[in-house]
Amino acid sequence: MNRGMNNVWTLIAAAALIYAGYCIAMGVVPGMAMSHLQPLPGVKPLDAQQARGRAIYVSEGCSYCHTQNIRPLAQDKVFGRPSVGGDYVYSTPQLLGTERTGPDLTNIGLRQPSDLWQYIHLWDPRAVVHDSIMPRYTWLFEVKKSAAAGEVTVPVPPDYAPAGGGVVVPTQQALDLVAYLKSLKQAPLPKAGAK
Amino acid sequence: MELLRDNVEPEDIALFSSFTLCATFWLLFSTLIGVLISFKFPYPDFLAGPYFSFGRLRAIHTNDAFYGWASVALVGAALYVAARTSGVAVQNKRFAWAGLLFFNLAAICGTVTLDLGINHGDQEYREWVWWVILIFAAALVSSLIALVSTVARRVERELYISNWYTIGGFVFTILLATTAYVPVYQYGMGQVAVQGFFMHNAVGMWFTFLALGVTYYALPKLLNRPIYSYSLGVLGFWTNLFFYPMIGAHHYEFTPLPWWFQTLAIVFSVGMLVPVWAGSGNFFLTMRYSWETVRRSYALPFIVVGVAYYLVGSTQGTVEAFRGLQAIWHLTSYTVGHSHATMYGFITFIAWGAIYALLPRATGKRPSLIVTGLHFWLATVGVTAYVVFLSVGGTEQGIAWASGNPFIASVDAAAPYWAGRAVAGVAMFVSHLLFAYNVFLMTLAPHGETMKYERAPVVSA
Repeated sequence: MNRGMNNVWTLIAAAALIYAGYCIAMGVVPGMAMSHLQPLPGVKPLDAQQARGRAIYVSEGCSYCHTQNIRPLAQDKVFGRPSVGGDYVYSTPQLLGTERTGPDLTNIGLRQPSDLWQYIHLWDPRAVVHDSIMPRYTWLFEVKKSAAAGEVTVPVPPDYAPAGGGVVVPTQQALDLVAYLKSLKQAPLPKAGAK
Repeated sequence: MELLRDNVEPEDIALFSSFTLCATFWLLFSTLIGVLISFKFPYPDFLAGPYFSFGRLRAIHTNDAFYGWASVALVGAALYVAARTSGVAVQNKRFAWAGLLFFNLAAICGTVTLDLGINHGDQEYREWVWWVILIFAAALVSSLIALVSTVARRVERELYISNWYTIGGFVFTILLATTAYVPVYQYGMGQVAVQGFFMHNAVGMWFTFLALGVTYYALPKLLNRPIYSYSLGVLGFWTNLFFYPMIGAHHYEFTPLPWWFQTLAIVFSVGMLVPVWAGSGNFFLTMRYSWETVRRSYALPFIVVGVAYYLVGSTQGTVEAFRGLQAIWHLTSYTVGHSHATMYGFITFIAWGAIYALLPRATGKRPSLIVTGLHFWLATVGVTAYVVFLSVGGTEQGIAWASGNPFIASVDAAAPYWAGRAVAGVAMFVSHLLFAYNVFLMTLAPHGETMKYERAPVVSA
C-alpha cells in the first residue's frame, strides 16, 4: 500500500476536502449572505406580465450585450446612480452581465419610456440607431394585412417596413418584453439618516 | 524524428481515437458557430431569425467549445496518460465509454435547448439547464471511475504528477458543478457571488488541471528527458488549488458585492502568479537546449505555444484584475480576447499538442507533416491576431466610454477591430479543418506508416 500522496485515495480525499471547504467558504456562504438582502424601499417584485417579459430577456440572451449594473465610475454616471445590493433582491436569475456591447439597461424604462420606440427598435434597431449592431427581433412580431381592433401597430419607417407590405403587430411576447423593459427604473436611495 | 509506437491494447486505441474524433466534431461545430456570430458584428442582419440569433448562439459556442471540444479531448488524453504512466490498460473501460456517451449526449441536449431559448440564465458557462448538467456530471463521474481504477492498479510505485492534476481536476469539477446548481443560496446578489466563483473555477479548476496534467506527461515523452523539476509541479498543484478558488469575484468588480470581497479576489489574482510561473517555468526549463527537437517535432510547437499562452494569458488575467485597469477594460471586448488567449491559446493548443504527441503512438498512424504545419501557423497567427484585435478594440471601447461620448461612439470605435476579429476567426476555423483531416489520418485512415514499438511506456522523474 502506498503511503501519503502516492496513495490515490489519499490524494482524492485531500483534494475533495480542501476544495469542498472552498466551495462552502467562497460559494455557498457568500451566496447565502447576499441572497436575502433588504430591498430598497422603492424596489418591488415584477408583476406577472413583466416577469414573462423578463423570461424572454433571459431566453434571448440579452445580457450577453447589455449590463444591468451601474458601477461607481464616472463613465457610468450617464446610466444612473451606482447600483446597490438592495436593487437586485427580486432579480433571479441575475442579469448583471459581463459585457456592455450595447448600453446598460438599468434605467432603460426612464431613458426610453415610449412603447412605440421600443417596438420599432426591437423590430429593427437600425431604424432608430443607424450604427446599431443589435440583432433584429422580428420573430416577436407578426406581419398582417391590417391590424384588428384594439391591436397596436408599429409605425415602422418606410425603409424598414416589411418587404411584402402589411402592418407590423407586436406578439404577446413583444408586449411582455416591452412591459419588462419599461419597468427598469432605479428606485431612489433612502435619504441619509432616514430609516 | 523517428516516432516509436506505444504497446497499447486495441480497445485502448479505440477509446482514445473515439474521444479524439468526438472532440474534433465539437471543435468544428462550436467554432463554426463562433465564426458565424463574429460576422454578426460587422453584418448584424447576417443569418437573422431566432435560431441563429447572437443571444442564443453565443452560449452554444462557448459551452460546446468548453464541454464538447476541450473537455472530451483532454479527458481522452488523460485516460491514455493514466494507462501509460500506470503500466496497465485502462481499467473499467465500460465507464470510460459511458463517459464519452454522456459527454456527447450533454453537448447535444445543451445545444438543442439553448437554441430553443431554454437556459439556466445568461450566466457564462452554466447556461445549460439542470438536467443537461446532470448528464455532464454523469460523464464526469463515469470517466473518473475509469481514471481512478486505472491509476489504482498501477505497477509503478509513484503516483505520477500528471495523474495528480487530472484526478484533481475531476474531483474539483464535480464539487463545483454541485455548488453551482443547488439553487437555495442563489437569489439576486447571492447568485452573482456564486456565478463569480463558478465561472472562474470552471476554467481554472477543470481545464487548467487537465491541460497541465497532460503536459506533464507529453512534454517529457516528446523530449525523451524527465521534467525539469517534479517539486515545481507539486508546488503548482497545491498553489493552484489554494489560490484559484479565491479569485472569482474579480469578474464582478465595481458591483454591490462587498468591496473587501472584491479586494480579496484581486490579492489572490496576484497570488496566481506563483502556480502560473512555476508551471510555465517548469515546462520551459524542461525544453531548454532542445529547440532543435522542438523544431523537428509535430507536436512540440503546439505545446510551446500553449505554455507561452498559459504564461502570457494568465499573467494578463492578474493584471486585468487591478481596479485601475479594470475600470477601462471590464465589460469591453478586451475580456473576450483574454478568454481566447487562455481557452484557445493555452487549453486548445495543449489539447492539440497532446493529441499530435500521443495519438500516433497509440494508433501507429502519422498525421501529414505539411497539414500539421499549416494547422499550426494558421491557428497561431489566427489566435494572436484575434487577441490583438480585441485587446486594442476593447481598449478603444473603454476609452470611448471614459471620454463621455454618446454610447454609440464605442460601437463605432470597436467596429473595425470586430471585423478584424472575424477574419482572424476564419483563419482559426480553417486550421481546425486541417486538424480534422489529420485526426482522420491518425485514426480512421485505412493504413498509416508502420512505426516501431517502444517497450517502456513509463515516464518518471
